[in-house]
Amino acid sequence: MAAIEEESGEFYLRYYVGHKGKFGHEFLEFEFRPDGKLRYANNSNYKNDTMIRKEVFLSPAVLKECRRIISESEIMKEDDNNWPEPDRIGRQELEIVMGNEHISFTTSKIGSLVDVQSSNDPEGLRIFYYLVQDLKCFVFSLISLHFKIKPI
Amino acid sequence: MASADVEALDFEPEDDDLMDEDGGVDDNNNASSPRAAPLPKLKSAITGGAKKTKGRGFREESDADRHTRLASRDFDSLGSDGGPGPQRSIEGWIILVTGVHEEAQEDHLHNAFSEFGQIKNLHLNLDRRTGYVKGYALIEYETFEEAQKAISDMNGAELLTQTLTVDWAFSNGPSTGPFRRKTMRPARRSRSPRRRY
Repeated sequence: MAAIEEESGEFYLRYYVGHKGKFGHEFLEFEFRPDGKLRYANNSNYKNDTMIRKEVFLSPAVLKECRRIISESEIMKEDDNNWPEPDRIGRQELEIVMGNEHISFTTSKIGSLVDVQSSNDPEGLRIFYYLVQDLKCFVFSLISLHFKIKPI
Repeated sequence: MASADVEALDFEPEDDDLMDEDGGVDDNNNASSPRAAPLPKLKSAITGGAKKTKGRGFREESDADRHTRLASRDFDSLGSDGGPGPQRSIEGWIILVTGVHEEAQEDHLHNAFSEFGQIKNLHLNLDRRTGYVKGYALIEYETFEEAQKAISDMNGAELLTQTLTVDWAFSNGPSTGPFRRKTMRPARRSRSPRRRY
């Protein structure tokens, strides 16, 4: 069913997680652009000052798999209305354009499933929680294999 | 107390050198609505027709930081000639295998793919919710020929009752619009019967 929207049409994805604290603005962010470019940025000021910024063009096959992961999660049906607001601990942003839908969700950091369960929208937040982990896992594999760096 | 509240809400990256043009706007926002953090508003990075939008990102105020973080030109990449076709990774050639059965194990993939050359790296990532295989694997070979052979022989092959799709993971240049498969993969010769594993 979801297969059709996986195949064609616009696609964009951006994920950000970060906070501002005593080590400055520490964050991880990645983006899949419509032209296939993956951008990855990781800024931790702890111990070393360097920001890691990497980019690489992905094949259509990788983009298609990314779309599949998103479609199967059904994240596009969710809404961040009842999710925890970002706070001093941090914020997460997930923006996806797929088909004729465009989501831009913002919430706090989620430490564990306990935070998901105790929220006002555990079903929706759980989908977000697992999707983000699956996407990070995919991106970390791509970046670490291509550049031979260890993300985070 | 007040300062604690401000701190909790304040997402201005004062110590972030990427960002300094949005201060005035944020002050105004803070004045008009003290509870509203100066949060980013989304300006879509892509353009397109009318879309159904959803999420706080569309209701929040603009944050230049968001637009500059990934807009920089100083992203490292391995050199590329910009043409179509696969790109070499730093130590070899990476292929993507999709359609991998959720109960597949590294051994299955290793057995099936090591006949084309020594596998330098294999990532078989798991679905974080179910603990089963997510459905894809990334495999690294040292040479282009090994990777190319794995793609042409294994694309369409069957592993644990599921049909695999095998292709390059990285590309030399942009793909615009719906990708034209033929530019990535030359037409195959008449194929031998599908493999089963």
